[in-house]
Amino acid sequence: MSEYILSCKGINKSFGGVHALKNVDLNVKRGEVHCLAGENGCGKSTIIKAISGFQPQDSGTIEFDGKVYDELSPSVSIDLGIQVIYQDLSVFPNLTVQENLAINTVLSNKTKIYNHKKQREIAKKVMETLNLDLDLDARVEQLPVASKQLIAIARALYAKAKFLILDEPTTALTRKEVDRLFEIIRGLKEQGLTVLFVSHKLDEMYEISDSITIMRSGEAVYTGSMKELSEDDFTHYMTGRDFDNVDDKQAEGRIQRDAVPALELNRLSGPGFANVSFAVYPGEILGITGQLGSGRSELCNTLFGVYKSTGGTIKRDGKEVKIRSVQDATKNGIALVPEDRLTEGLFLPVSIMENITVVNFNEFVRHMLLNRESQVENSSKWVKEIHVKTDDHLLPVQTLSGGNQQKVVLAKWLSTNPKVLVLNGPTVGVDIGAKYDIYQLLRNLAATGVAVLVASDDLAEVIRLCDRTIVMRGGVMTGEIKGDELNTENLTKAIM
Amino acid sequence: MNKKMKRLLGKNEFYVALIIIILATVIQAASGLFFAVNNVVDLLRSIVVNAIYALCALLAFVSTGADVSFPMIAGMSTYIVFKLGETTSLPAPVLVLIALLIGALCGCVNGFFIVKFHFNSLIVTLATSSICYGIAFGALKGVRIDVPAQFSGFANWNILQVKSAQTGLGASLHGGFAVMILLYLIAYFVLRHTMVGRAVYAIGGDEISARRAGFKVDQIRFGIFVVNGMIAVIGGLCYACMCKNCSPMEYYGGEMIVIAAIVLGGVRLTGGHGSLLGCMLGTFLLGMVSNSLTMIGISVYYQKVFIGIIIIIGASVAAVQAKRAMKISNVVKSEG
Repeated sequence: MSEYILSCKGINKSFGGVHALKNVDLNVKRGEVHCLAGENGCGKSTIIKAISGFQPQDSGTIEFDGKVYDELSPSVSIDLGIQVIYQDLSVFPNLTVQENLAINTVLSNKTKIYNHKKQREIAKKVMETLNLDLDLDARVEQLPVASKQLIAIARALYAKAKFLILDEPTTALTRKEVDRLFEIIRGLKEQGLTVLFVSHKLDEMYEISDSITIMRSGEAVYTGSMKELSEDDFTHYMTGRDFDNVDDKQAEGRIQRDAVPALELNRLSGPGFANVSFAVYPGEILGITGQLGSGRSELCNTLFGVYKSTGGTIKRDGKEVKIRSVQDATKNGIALVPEDRLTEGLFLPVSIMENITVVNFNEFVRHMLLNRESQVENSSKWVKEIHVKTDDHLLPVQTLSGGNQQKVVLAKWLSTNPKVLVLNGPTVGVDIGAKYDIYQLLRNLAATGVAVLVASDDLAEVIRLCDRTIVMRGGVMTGEIKGDELNTENLTKAIM
Repeated sequence: MNKKMKRLLGKNEFYVALIIIILATVIQAASGLFFAVNNVVDLLRSIVVNAIYALCALLAFVSTGADVSFPMIAGMSTYIVFKLGETTSLPAPVLVLIALLIGALCGCVNGFFIVKFHFNSLIVTLATSSICYGIAFGALKGVRIDVPAQFSGFANWNILQVKSAQTGLGASLHGGFAVMILLYLIAYFVLRHTMVGRAVYAIGGDEISARRAGFKVDQIRFGIFVVNGMIAVIGGLCYACMCKNCSPMEYYGGEMIVIAAIVLGGVRLTGGHGSLLGCMLGTFLLGMVSNSLTMIGISVYYQKVFIGIIIIIGASVAAVQAKRAMKISNVVKSEG
């Protein structure tokens, strides 16, 4: 028996003229947790589709468990024991837990009649694979993401999985849920399962993976043991760029400590948080950190007038203001880059230009008509300024990668010249390269005297970007960390 | 017990049943005639066709999206076979078969464009509906024709004949009611106890997941529209035989009240949710409103207002339910 359970050799795949995979080799050892890393669009999902048989490669071979295949099909792949847990988890939200657990097994039995009693038995057995305890009659749409994921994993295990592919499994999980997932993955490893873990979160990879393959622009650029890979090398392989001066916060002289605070909260309360007080000065980048459900998102939305505050005061440049609507917030120079840019921040099928200029539409209106020229001019200025990677800003936003979409959201609000910019999870789902671009952009922005608030649960981001951070837990502000004390250890302690 | 109560309270069907009971009590109190046996029978008779149509709407909405073509498919096919029955001496079973074939063919057209080209089902069925309308009136000069001799047996088949001692009024329950019950029994079995039935819900819940799980999504969708065409024809034949004549014009626009009824009964327009019981209750409620409000002196025109109000109430209950479900999952999330 070979040491490798899976070896893909020389995999090529093209879509139209685009070479999505160029001669990719991927070797995964039996019984290890192997990480597949890479930025969006690097070909990660394309190779997974080849392995799962959903989209066979153009050329190259896949060897699994000692047998070489020129091409896999979904059913062959499943028979071999390859199971993919997709990011969307492939559960049926409208069906019960019981049905979701059993449906694959029932389907593979190829019976025409659906036996509810038998299905319940199967569902119970499926739950045993992970020692789950879920209400079998609950509808899946009412469960948290973590439980949905466990259902998907249990289902895969029961289908006799030997090789489990997890596609970005931690995106929607809280830290606690991630810990539980990792525990389960380690348990599976002990049982001899091989896991291919697709991710772009570095700390998680170090925590769980034995070895790693990094892909960039359709090529496998690095394969090796996880331990031997330094953080700098990782960034280098991921992006093909080096970021030497990224730690430089350039805080000196940027923060106007003597000025009136740009934003001052006094015992502000709202839905999901209470009695939050802090001040942020022009030029400062302040972090608001805490776990999912700590109230940070609610705070951001309240500052922007999406939610109504229930008590306390907000001062802008020393003057008390009432923010009851988004219009109030915009009028007072406050802008929000929302957490979920896809549903809250962008009109995906609409052009980049229109997305950038939508907030201050009125500026482009002359005699009740939209002046397209000035709109184009304004938009192309921003596209250039913040390095949105596109050939044409008249293309729809959905043609951009995640990082560039986020830049468009930023540009949209920057074009209103805000004095206080609130960002909620500014780099969620954004590539490392674009991440650093965004950090630099925010620093430059702060240097012009804008107060920046960054709500994030990405600790590395808070440390790298923020001058100071407040910590929230269970809806209240539990502390403030600044200067040299702003490190991973202190932050982890504070948010738990 | 508590869990069961909660689940019951979370269902649209429960609220519709509640409204039915309240409304029945009110009408009874005001007129004293609601529970008169002839009224109940009349009511049951009046919902037969809409309840059959409701099956089409349920299948389409749960699995794919809107289907608005069923009344005109029904109207055209019924008209064609009534004409055939008048001019030829084909026996009734053959005529029914022909009607079903025409219905299935229309369903094929719907299914083909929806599955093959991923067109929106509302648009496709709107188009077929229009085509059927055009054929019925343009090519076939859709005038009112009487039920042909071959169908007179079914047209005169009453399974129940009652006379109210209280009012002296009589009423009869047409055999179409038995057809409806039979269709619901078949639908119950298929939807609940066969893989195809579960697939209908699975596809509506998440199409991509269904594909990955190995359901033959395209085949099942196509099949649903073919079956819908045939169910529509059965509804159409029942309607014409109950009226003892057929005029395609009467079928026109019949989909709106049916869609309102099923939405009231808990079918979600976004797919994946809906039950037979809900369809039946929704249809019954709307049938009751248009049938019985005259008894308490509300004019025919105000009944429309009433129906509108009930639809809005029904929709808002569903919306509140959905919101509450969202909240539950959020709470769990933040606790996790």
